[in-house]
Amino acid sequence: MTRRGVLAGLAAVLALAGGAAWKFRLFAKHYPSTPYDDLLDQITDREPAIVFGQAARNSLPGAAQLAAELRRDRRSLGERAAAEPGEAQIAEVAGWVVPQSVARYAALAAQA
Amino acid sequence: MSSFQDARTLPRDTVLSPDLAIVGGGPAGISLALALAESGQNILLLESGGRTFEADVQKLYEGSQTGVPYIALDGGRLRYLGGSTNHWGGWTRPLDKIDFENRKGMPYFGWPFRRDAIEPYFARAQSLIEAGPWIYDEADNVISGNGPLLRLGPGGIYTSWFQFSRTRDNNLPTHFGDRYQADLIKAARITPLLNANVTAIRLSPDAGRVTQLDVATLSGNRLTVKPRYTVLAAGAIENARLMLASNDVTTAGVGNGNDLVGRFFADHPIPRNVATLVLFDEGISPLYFNNVALPDGAVMRAVLSPRQEFMRAHGVAGSLTTVENEAKLDAFATAAVVTTAQALGVDASHAKAYSLGCGMEMAPDPDRRLTLRTERDALGMPRLNLHMTISDDDFTLFRQTLTELGRQLLAAKSGMLHISYNRRDEWLEAMDWGNHHLGTTRMHGDPKQGVVDANSKVHGIGNLYVAGSSVFPTYGSSNPTLNLVALTLRLADHLKKVMA
Repeated sequence: MTRRGVLAGLAAVLALAGGAAWKFRLFAKHYPSTPYDDLLDQITDREPAIVFGQAARNSLPGAAQLAAELRRDRRSLGERAAAEPGEAQIAEVAGWVVPQSVARYAALAAQA
Repeated sequence: MSSFQDARTLPRDTVLSPDLAIVGGGPAGISLALALAESGQNILLLESGGRTFEADVQKLYEGSQTGVPYIALDGGRLRYLGGSTNHWGGWTRPLDKIDFENRKGMPYFGWPFRRDAIEPYFARAQSLIEAGPWIYDEADNVISGNGPLLRLGPGGIYTSWFQFSRTRDNNLPTHFGDRYQADLIKAARITPLLNANVTAIRLSPDAGRVTQLDVATLSGNRLTVKPRYTVLAAGAIENARLMLASNDVTTAGVGNGNDLVGRFFADHPIPRNVATLVLFDEGISPLYFNNVALPDGAVMRAVLSPRQEFMRAHGVAGSLTTVENEAKLDAFATAAVVTTAQALGVDASHAKAYSLGCGMEMAPDPDRRLTLRTERDALGMPRLNLHMTISDDDFTLFRQTLTELGRQLLAAKSGMLHISYNRRDEWLEAMDWGNHHLGTTRMHGDPKQGVVDANSKVHGIGNLYVAGSSVFPTYGSSNPTLNLVALTLRLADHLKKVMA
């Protein structure tokens, strides 16, 4: 076997492994399953969202209603967070001025 | 050529008869005297103090207070030649057009003229305070090489600019007494009289004219001044005190037929650490942090202000938000920043935080007022009580401005904002003040709503005027010195006409 062949084979194995890791989220953080994972999976890092959401949850509905409301808007968290400041859809959480959806997703994360 | 005279050394009961007596040798009094130096009128500039600080003179300012805690009445001003420019910070900025407007739903706001009326005087005022070339909000086009301005989305807040009175070898800015004493001496028709305390304004029996001023010294001397015209330029607290205390002909005091003298006192609240600014991926330009000197002599600093359109649309008062110090984020703050930045799709791993300060405009309040007490000072003048107030609306309106700033940071994906205070007690605990005394002889065309008219003449008294920020009926958020000097130069032009 040529040296070039060995390197090409190694590269192919690594690419396959990387693809599998991405596909099956082998290195992603895993959380206990909740009824709201379709929403919560949009949060990149759930721990800080849970911490922040503790301050937001008191002024927002419970998890089931909040999730139902969030699902009515088909935009992703990222799309909404980017658009809302321009639409004056902002919230204040413990003094922090944030896009409304950030407060709501974080509150959901804190309740889930 | 004249020279400084000392009231303590003039023969007792001397009578002086100038064309114009100016009471107070601060920025307004000195600017007025110099502006009229070539007018052909003999001018007597009466200054209570000497050329340097003296404790027994300063004690004449002592008074009492009620209401919201405020700086001691002898603490925020200086009683000697140059007045409070002897301790000012040199921040300068013209009032905005909106500061002169009558504003719907905002009682007592507005001047009897538009900003156009004092604009012709800004250039000379800028020169007197030695703040370099007139740049201010043109700075965006002038300044380069100090990093980009804060990225904000479209909205009500923008980067505006302060300039500074020139510093000399790291010394404080222009002290009017030191800086202009040679000019005062050089002017043949100006007589600066030091240690001369005006203790009473005497009116004609019909109360229509000032006939004389009583002058006393702490050493016990007494003089009389019989001027054709008088301008009070002793600051917003002393102007009111002198008018209220001169009550032998009109029992309510001079110019106080409608019980307005001493009311509407104001200052600029400057609560500390009002907010934390977080920038996701970049530090802030030093233009917001430090005073930056330009090659042409201007010293600039960027601040954040509400646009006039935003102020009109939302009924918001003026404010100037400053970037103060780098700040640290605690665990909760870090969680807020990470969560928000990730949702916005930006990297906040190098985020930097800064504490913000501000200067706020207060809404005019007739109950924020100076009144005479029975206790008297060493010259026999009644001391004052200041009843200080600040309304919850003042905080609420400024909070709207901060919220808008936060919204625009998010819209630009450049950062976010934490507002520090929500409750009144939190605001008050963080409160400091600008030492900008304003409003106690407010200007209005209607004598029932103002002490002086649009020419700064006291309503109903033919030869008595008031100069300085005590005539400001609405205050804006800009520091007052530049504006009060411009207004004084306008008064000088008026006096040239009426005294001729």
